[in-house]
Amino acid sequence: MADTLSTISPRETRAQRQVDALLEREGIRRDAHIDYTCGIFDDDWRLIATGSCYKNTIRCLAVSGEHQGEGLLNRVVSHLTQVQFERGNSHVFLYTKPKSARFFGDLGFSEIARVEGRVVFMENRRGGFAAYLRALERAPQDGCAAVVMNANPFTLGHRRLVETAAARHPFVHLFLLSEEAGPIPFAVRRRLVQEGIAGLDNVLLHDSGPYIISSATFPSYFLKGEDDAIRAHAALDIAVFAQIAAALGITTRFVGDEPTSRVTALYNEVMARDLPAHGVDCIIIPRLAVNGRTVSASTVRQAIHDGAPDSVADMLPESTRRYFASAEAKPVVRAIRAMDDPKHY
Amino acid sequence: MEVKKPAVAGTLESSDAQVMIEPGDGKIDLSLQSSVMNQYGRQIKATILETLARLEVTSAKLTVVDKGALDCTLKARVECAVFRSCDASDANIPWGGAVR
Repeated sequence: MADTLSTISPRETRAQRQVDALLEREGIRRDAHIDYTCGIFDDDWRLIATGSCYKNTIRCLAVSGEHQGEGLLNRVVSHLTQVQFERGNSHVFLYTKPKSARFFGDLGFSEIARVEGRVVFMENRRGGFAAYLRALERAPQDGCAAVVMNANPFTLGHRRLVETAAARHPFVHLFLLSEEAGPIPFAVRRRLVQEGIAGLDNVLLHDSGPYIISSATFPSYFLKGEDDAIRAHAALDIAVFAQIAAALGITTRFVGDEPTSRVTALYNEVMARDLPAHGVDCIIIPRLAVNGRTVSASTVRQAIHDGAPDSVADMLPESTRRYFASAEAKPVVRAIRAMDDPKHY
Repeated sequence: MEVKKPAVAGTLESSDAQVMIEPGDGKIDLSLQSSVMNQYGRQIKATILETLARLEVTSAKLTVVDKGALDCTLKARVECAVFRSCDASDANIPWGGAVR
């Protein structure tokens, strides 16, 4: 047997075409988000198995029909796992079709969540998700609300959303996206949220970790994607969230309506459709408006980008205003000003 | 030896084992999955723990996915993962010492 496992660079157009053809034959849609691809070639340099990575995930795995049962998938997954460890990722996630999920169970992966008929989301450690759920701080009673935000940066709109949830429910679980995805560092976003929700005693702040709107569950939040892909990612993210909700006694998720960002609007649409099926209500709160303008973090970033932070002072709580006026924020402000497009697509 | 960073050794191919190791919290936390668990599970576990003890690893989180590896293979994979996790692979590997 002289099969060869080889890295396939984006520039190798012939091999990339073979990857496309193999995926299509096996009924797998090629993901737009890929940063590493490998393949196994036979003696005549025909591609017989392939797999790819994006950040800490493994995806787009396929083995040619006539070579199934030869252990090729094991070689591809072994190789991609090594690639992930070289990147420093020991916690690896994987997507696959529901009917293939059991093969990955044999390769040390365990299921986190699935969207029936479409995709199964897995991780390379047993009980990783269960341990995450156990580690989340619980509220003393059920019937809680949940809010998920990026708070990039924290505005009065975020404050209004949390206040609304906190007024209607005994406790609010507030999940803050912990992935670094913009010029404002996570530690700063977190501090501004903490300061911004001061006085609301029934709010529990959690870091979202890898399981809520991360580049593992929802890559199109961070990178442009097609509508179909966004919907598929959103459905998966919401399937994971439903389990978190069940573990924490969350009955309602509050979201702000989304007039500007396409990806968030699609996400909300899928959420409004899917969440009730998981036993969680989804309440969409109209955006806060001040002085006739809709409050939005992207408007704030745009104003900072344009060098006119004062024009959005009425959208921000005192803590966020103070931060952006401080010396500490100077490099962050510089980074925002240097961005081509400070608004989310 | 002290496990300082995550590392992996071995593969998921038949007759091999994939050993993933991470810094632990003061004890050995072993998660073992094997295609021959019913026949050899206890022996595989003993081999892994013995190897760790010989290398004086007392705190680590290990995930082993075994595909029917022989004891010598398991030992080699565990040793390699430990050395990689403490950057010993480019320094001195204790041939004839802890590795024998």
